[in-house]
Amino acid sequence: MKEKKKDSTAVRGGTASTSRASISGPVPRQDAPGKISGVASYIGDLCFEGMLYARTLRSTVPRARIVSIDIPAMPEGYFVVDARDVPGKNGVHMLTDEQPFFAEERVNYVGEPILLVTGPERGKIDQILRGIRVEYEEIPPVFGEEDSKNPRIPPLFGERNLFCEYEIRRGEVEEAFFDADFVFEGCYHTGAQEHVYLEPQGTAGVFDGERVTVYGSMQCPYYVKTALVGGLGWKEDRIRVVQATTGGAFGGKEEYPSIIAGHVAFAAIKTGRPVLLVFDRAEDVVCTTKRHPSLIRMRTAVDDRGAIRGMEIDIALDGGAYVGLSPVVLQRAMFAATGVYRIPCIRVKGRVFATNSVPTGAFRGFGAPQAFFAVEMHMHSLAEKLRKDPLEFKRSYLLSMGDPTVTDGRMKQEVPLPRMIDRLCKLSGYEKKHRAYKKEKTRRGIGVSLFFHGCAFTGSGEKDKIKAKVLLKKEDDESVSILVSNVEMGQGAQTTLKKIVAETLGCGLERVRYDNPDTDRVPDSGPTVASRTVMIVGGLLAKAAGRLKRRMDEKGEVKIEERYVQPPHIEWDQDTFTGDAYPVYSWGANAVEVEVDPVTFEVRVIGVWGIYDVGTPIDERIVGGQIEGGISQGLGYATIELLQKENGRLRQKNLTDYIIPSSMDFPDPVYELFSSSYEHGPFGAKCAGELPFVGVAPAVAAAVQNAIGRPVRRLPVSPEYLFEAEHDED
Amino acid sequence: MVTQNVVYRPGSLEEAYRLRTDTGALPLAGGTDLMVRYRKTAGLVPDPGRPVLFIGHLKDLRRVEERAEEVRIGSCTTYTELLSQKAVPEILKRCITLLASPPIRNRGTVGGNICNSSPAGDTLPVLHALECSLVLGNIRGERTVPIDRFITGPGENALSEDEILKEIVIPKAAFSGWCYRKIGTRRANALAKISFAGLYLIESGEVHDIRIAIGAVAPTVVRSREIEKTIIRIPRTSLQRSTVEMAARYRPLIRPITDQRSTTGYRAGVTLVLIEQFLTAVLQKKG
Repeated sequence: MKEKKKDSTAVRGGTASTSRASISGPVPRQDAPGKISGVASYIGDLCFEGMLYARTLRSTVPRARIVSIDIPAMPEGYFVVDARDVPGKNGVHMLTDEQPFFAEERVNYVGEPILLVTGPERGKIDQILRGIRVEYEEIPPVFGEEDSKNPRIPPLFGERNLFCEYEIRRGEVEEAFFDADFVFEGCYHTGAQEHVYLEPQGTAGVFDGERVTVYGSMQCPYYVKTALVGGLGWKEDRIRVVQATTGGAFGGKEEYPSIIAGHVAFAAIKTGRPVLLVFDRAEDVVCTTKRHPSLIRMRTAVDDRGAIRGMEIDIALDGGAYVGLSPVVLQRAMFAATGVYRIPCIRVKGRVFATNSVPTGAFRGFGAPQAFFAVEMHMHSLAEKLRKDPLEFKRSYLLSMGDPTVTDGRMKQEVPLPRMIDRLCKLSGYEKKHRAYKKEKTRRGIGVSLFFHGCAFTGSGEKDKIKAKVLLKKEDDESVSILVSNVEMGQGAQTTLKKIVAETLGCGLERVRYDNPDTDRVPDSGPTVASRTVMIVGGLLAKAAGRLKRRMDEKGEVKIEERYVQPPHIEWDQDTFTGDAYPVYSWGANAVEVEVDPVTFEVRVIGVWGIYDVGTPIDERIVGGQIEGGISQGLGYATIELLQKENGRLRQKNLTDYIIPSSMDFPDPVYELFSSSYEHGPFGAKCAGELPFVGVAPAVAAAVQNAIGRPVRRLPVSPEYLFEAEHDED
Repeated sequence: MVTQNVVYRPGSLEEAYRLRTDTGALPLAGGTDLMVRYRKTAGLVPDPGRPVLFIGHLKDLRRVEERAEEVRIGSCTTYTELLSQKAVPEILKRCITLLASPPIRNRGTVGGNICNSSPAGDTLPVLHALECSLVLGNIRGERTVPIDRFITGPGENALSEDEILKEIVIPKAAFSGWCYRKIGTRRANALAKISFAGLYLIESGEVHDIRIAIGAVAPTVVRSREIEKTIIRIPRTSLQRSTVEMAARYRPLIRPITDQRSTTGYRAGVTLVLIEQFLTAVLQKKG
């Protein structure tokens, strides 16, 4: 039964015109030798003379006023570091700075940091922590959106307990619903998800009497630096941030490291010694960000010919205790709310509500996976209601060039989905299988999902907020240094960015240097997020390399700076959410085949297929790695990764209980790349990092729906959920 | 240091018994449960708060001996070692191939699985169904206890403070077939939500023996000789109840909890169907 992928690096582009770009051929990964040999220094490998360890005292209750903290006398050489040791503002700067580095008067979630204990011996630190008594006066906590309406529960944020609330309208949506023959409705839930980067979070702080340096496992050195500027209240030139080799991130190291960067900086200043803070896995699971759980209500107005007239979509995300990046996550979810479909008129409402639980945050896909699950299942179920084949129905609504997006921007490029779907059907045998499984009681099913990912920052973020700047420097020794703040975190940036520069210069890869970013050396080219590194930062490096190429004969050092300029085709109004939310889109189509055990309701995945258009792949093997990893992570999210909250506490607290897939759980995926070319991306590249995750779950859910003949409305599609769904109906 | 970790590594079983009596040290074979249970902050040595007695290396505890009436398994025989032993029943081997992952099977021992006495212990339903008994030794001698009287509750058993589990004795019995199913969340390295072991013997069209043992659905393994007796040596044509009714008799015994891995409803519902399916399969066999 096991289907082998024919060749993971094969690119069989559907467009006859695109021949394989020379840059796409795979090269050895630049970060592999150091990681495989053990030479690479992860944060836990760092050791400084006189270094102290640190561990965090955390809130054990979801919501309370701190009445008192009883700290026993400290042995010599041991220190407590808390809010009183924050020289600047006790607020971690992200979109706002309302989340404290250390809780002061109140705690708002289980796991919120209250203080650090630092000292030379870890066993002693644990003993001291066990001796500290915190007296709480508990406040009724907010656990769900419904609690916001309970007058006995004081709101956690603002008056209505909402971090943000938006509405987008396009067209005469009331009219569409007024004229509708019927309205098709559905509610779609998705659960939280843990990143499970291999390396838990960690930072180290060093203070030399004048400047502070923070080392850390991170995606965004300048986010960390900005947060330190706020927390220390110091000038930027006294703060240095250095990325340590980072063992995976998936968005989990976008905003969180800023908190613990502050912790080690304050501790290093207070103690005058270097301080290392590295989480255990269980601690990491309890206190770091998660994917936003969602509840999406969809209503579709259908006319008497069975055609869609309009859609109303209501998106609610659980933000946890602090706003973090939630508004931006919600925006991405809203901008993907109608999926890859042309819907005449729409109203999309969205909000993020506050709860007394661990904050949710950035995670591969960033709101889009929740939206695509809802819209794909909704379109699938509507097709079934109309007695139409789901894929044929979806095909008849596909966006094409010139069509309006949710935000009334225009699809500026060709939408390659029709050809991708043809290829997907051919590879997977979808049409025949879907018909057969619908009729037979085999408990087998096959499902398809169609999706996009908007490349890089949402809206005008690149132009107005990030303003990326890169430096390319020819050194005295004729080597060329890439000076950017983007990090290698396992995704392949060291390889792809070097390739872009080397290929442009026409030199060998070995001549290009790209070390872990150090804010003393590199300009702010923005965070390593939003699948932007290759397209935006790589694009700037390609431009810089083009300019450097003409000056390579000059003696000595040559420095080229390049700054981001928004492509002229983008129009965007951030206040009204109108225009082109993204400069360009990458596209994907997945098919998943499953078998559902009739007794245990376990979902066995027996086939996975994917067709992707990421523009020109800068390295086919690296893109293949993103695809295979994204599929595995997506299959886990869809089927087994259950992360439940009970009274504000996570039920699954470690990797024994929070189950991610093993290599035995799923078959090897079969996939191909379609290479359209994007004129503003380096060598025609678009985005690839998040896309492969986005479509997996809806394809699984559609396959299960096909197999069991009942609607699937929830992720993960766990055996318990299917069991209960079947028995509720009986 | 906070505590001094005292560790003993005896040269013989005799010495192990003596150290166990003298110090009350905690026996540690493969450590795959204990090292997790007593783990501390990364970088610190696990500390059970009392001395530790390494026994996993003792040759006397690490052997499989086949006798005429029984198979005797040393308590510290690793799962991997059991897989290569001809005398080990196939149902136990099947259970082991679904247990944890190769590295854990290389360290973990069947005696450790028994003494950990977790309701979800993978080998326990199989050992219950095989009606194995346990040889417990101390400096004064040995006693033998049936496994269903040894494990008394979650993490609780009849091992005395001076005893060490020495051997697992599996009586030889003829079976026409067996069934083992583990319902975990993934295909490797998962704790069981339900584990099911079934054995049967059919001769001349009659069920001569049937044993059903289920793990992870009650504080200890569920097995009912009383219900089994209603099937044994009764001509199939005279069976008064349908298999669904027979399975339903297990309902009061199946008392699973809702926890981080599964729900009461799922565990109970699926268990009853597993029992029913096994009974149906057995009663359809021609003997």
